Amino acid sequence: MIDVVPPFIVYILGAFVVANTPAGILRSAVLCLIPLIGGALVWNLEVGTFGQFTAYGLDIVLLRVDKLSIIFALIFSLAGFLAMLYAWHIKDTIQQVAALLYSGSAIGAVFAGDLITLFVFWEGTAIASVFLIWARRTEGAYHTGMRYLIMQIASGVILIAGAALYYRDTGSIAFEQMTLGSLGTWLIFLAFGIKCAFPLLHNWLQDAYPAATVTGTVVLSAFTTKLAVYALARSFPGTELLIYIGAIMTLFPIFYAVIENDLRRVLAYSLNNQLGFMVVGVGIGTELALNGTAAHAFAHILYKALLFMSVGAVLFRTGTAKGSDLGGLYKTMPLTMIFCVVGAASISAFPLFSGFVSKSLILSAAGKEHYWVIWAILLFASAGVFHHSGIKIPYFVFFAHDSGKRPKEAPWNMLLAMFITAALCIGIGSYPAPLYALLPYEIKYEPYTTSHVITQLQLLFFSALAFTVLMRTGIYPPELRSVNLDSDWTYRKAGPAVLGWLTWVISSLWTGFKALSLDKLWKLTEGLYKTHGPEGRMARVWPTGSMVLWLAVILAAALLVNFI
Amino acid sequence: MAQTHDHTKDEFDIVETDPAKLPALGRSMLFLDKKKNVDRIVYGLYVVCALLVIADIAYKKKTYFSIEYFFGFYGWYGFIMCALLVVCAKAMRTFLMRDESYYAPYDVEAEDYPEDQLDRSSIHD
Repeated sequence: MIDVVPPFIVYILGAFVVANTPAGILRSAVLCLIPLIGGALVWNLEVGTFGQFTAYGLDIVLLRVDKLSIIFALIFSLAGFLAMLYAWHIKDTIQQVAALLYSGSAIGAVFAGDLITLFVFWEGTAIASVFLIWARRTEGAYHTGMRYLIMQIASGVILIAGAALYYRDTGSIAFEQMTLGSLGTWLIFLAFGIKCAFPLLHNWLQDAYPAATVTGTVVLSAFTTKLAVYALARSFPGTELLIYIGAIMTLFPIFYAVIENDLRRVLAYSLNNQLGFMVVGVGIGTELALNGTAAHAFAHILYKALLFMSVGAVLFRTGTAKGSDLGGLYKTMPLTMIFCVVGAASISAFPLFSGFVSKSLILSAAGKEHYWVIWAILLFASAGVFHHSGIKIPYFVFFAHDSGKRPKEAPWNMLLAMFITAALCIGIGSYPAPLYALLPYEIKYEPYTTSHVITQLQLLFFSALAFTVLMRTGIYPPELRSVNLDSDWTYRKAGPAVLGWLTWVISSLWTGFKALSLDKLWKLTEGLYKTHGPEGRMARVWPTGSMVLWLAVILAAALLVNFI
Repeated sequence: MAQTHDHTKDEFDIVETDPAKLPALGRSMLFLDKKKNVDRIVYGLYVVCALLVIADIAYKKKTYFSIEYFFGFYGWYGFIMCALLVVCAKAMRTFLMRDESYYAPYDVEAEDYPEDQLDRSSIHD
């Protein structure tokens, strides 16, 4: 039945081992080792389908190995390793086991060849990851975790409903390319859309990621959303609707990111924006575009993790990640600052940094297919992401006004994890050939042309110029302690308010009705009692004897009827 | 070591730091504290921007759209769009911004970290 060891098994076994190893160096080492073993397994997988069997008449495929699944599984393994290294100092068993099961589920889902297997791992990522939020053990984190879990589980439930309808329509549960049309495919699309943080379905992301633990957010940032991008790339490549959804995704989060104070939430918004690029790539659906999506997911996981790591290190040392409370940290945390700047340069797609060689594939694909509005939006979003992730984060944390905080440099394990991630970001950006070789399709693309480098530098330097001018003229909005309303307002404020109002209306109607009808009922009872009660007028004609007489008459009639 | 301090989140005073106590890398960047040096960096940025626009003459653009041929297109597009982005976002604050405790008190606060991991005492020696 099982001809190849599926990589997720390593994580599940690893979770058992970790849970039974005393906290300390040994456990941390095991934690780092597991993603490496898993990664090695992935690396050595041969293209094909393995682990096929039939259960209840359904064709289950545990492992569908091709270039698309391999590149996602590889980057998930790498991200798992880096996150474990970053969390080396953690002694919290719950977080460690959850992180392992979460990464294992994500990798399991990537290799799933059918919708049932996908569903199982899809829910696995939801359940395991919520513990990374709850592990913060604050009341706020508990409630946020609940909201996160409801959204994630809802996505899973919609997925299985879609899969059931799809099975009824086609007789197959294969996790393959589909065309939007039937209710089943729409539900599957919606399930992917929730995890991919489509506009209006997005807010669980900005709600939950800043609420997780320092190390938990680094883990969270890698898997769920990119798994959804993978699922879309697998099932709905070339779906034009995705181009427009993706373009909106790149656009609106950058506005929020500019005015958001919690820097981990700023990063969550920019994560959403970066997902938009990948979704546009899936929507365009050409080989170049899908290569772009895969490459961008790969590069993105690394630089986004790096940014979350550096802001996390600051949160770890100072106890806050609010832009309004930070500033001037370059003096005592210069290494963290440098790593943060590398992450910022990568997400902004500076030449020689990873975003440059991956994002441009998607922009070029949009250009080649003559989507000029989309291309213009993506270009704006690229400039915008430099503005809020590339400049705002490093500037307000490490420079700007001196907050007077003089925290120690991040611990060695965080620095090492950031160093490796930063090296990978620069490595990919400077020498993209190995990444391009991993892409799902053949690629002939030269990112380093004079045109591309100069135009990109123009875009970035002029948006830096805009930042500088706005900052110096005092137009730039200051960091303020605040929250901004987003779509979560509908279920955190409006929904409860409407429900409360409805409760009030219905309960007052009910009270009024009850009072009124009770009054009537009481009067009726009283009337009846008066007439039919023991003392009532009607009660006088109630001889018990007459009832017996009538019974006898009826019995006699029944007897008679029988005889006839 | 550390004296007893009330380490609530706002307890940090701006303390003149003895440069000798900073890590060497941090010390080497202290020039950023002087406004004059920051101005120099900003002037540098102006020069780089100007050079990048002028560079447009020097090579033949390979493009997908005709608008890209426009002189310094990427430069002014980046500048204008970013300025618009910030102005719009700032305007959005007027109807989107709420107090931190809007949803719940302490909704956005971090958990209390163990003091020994915060290592805050470094300035209160």
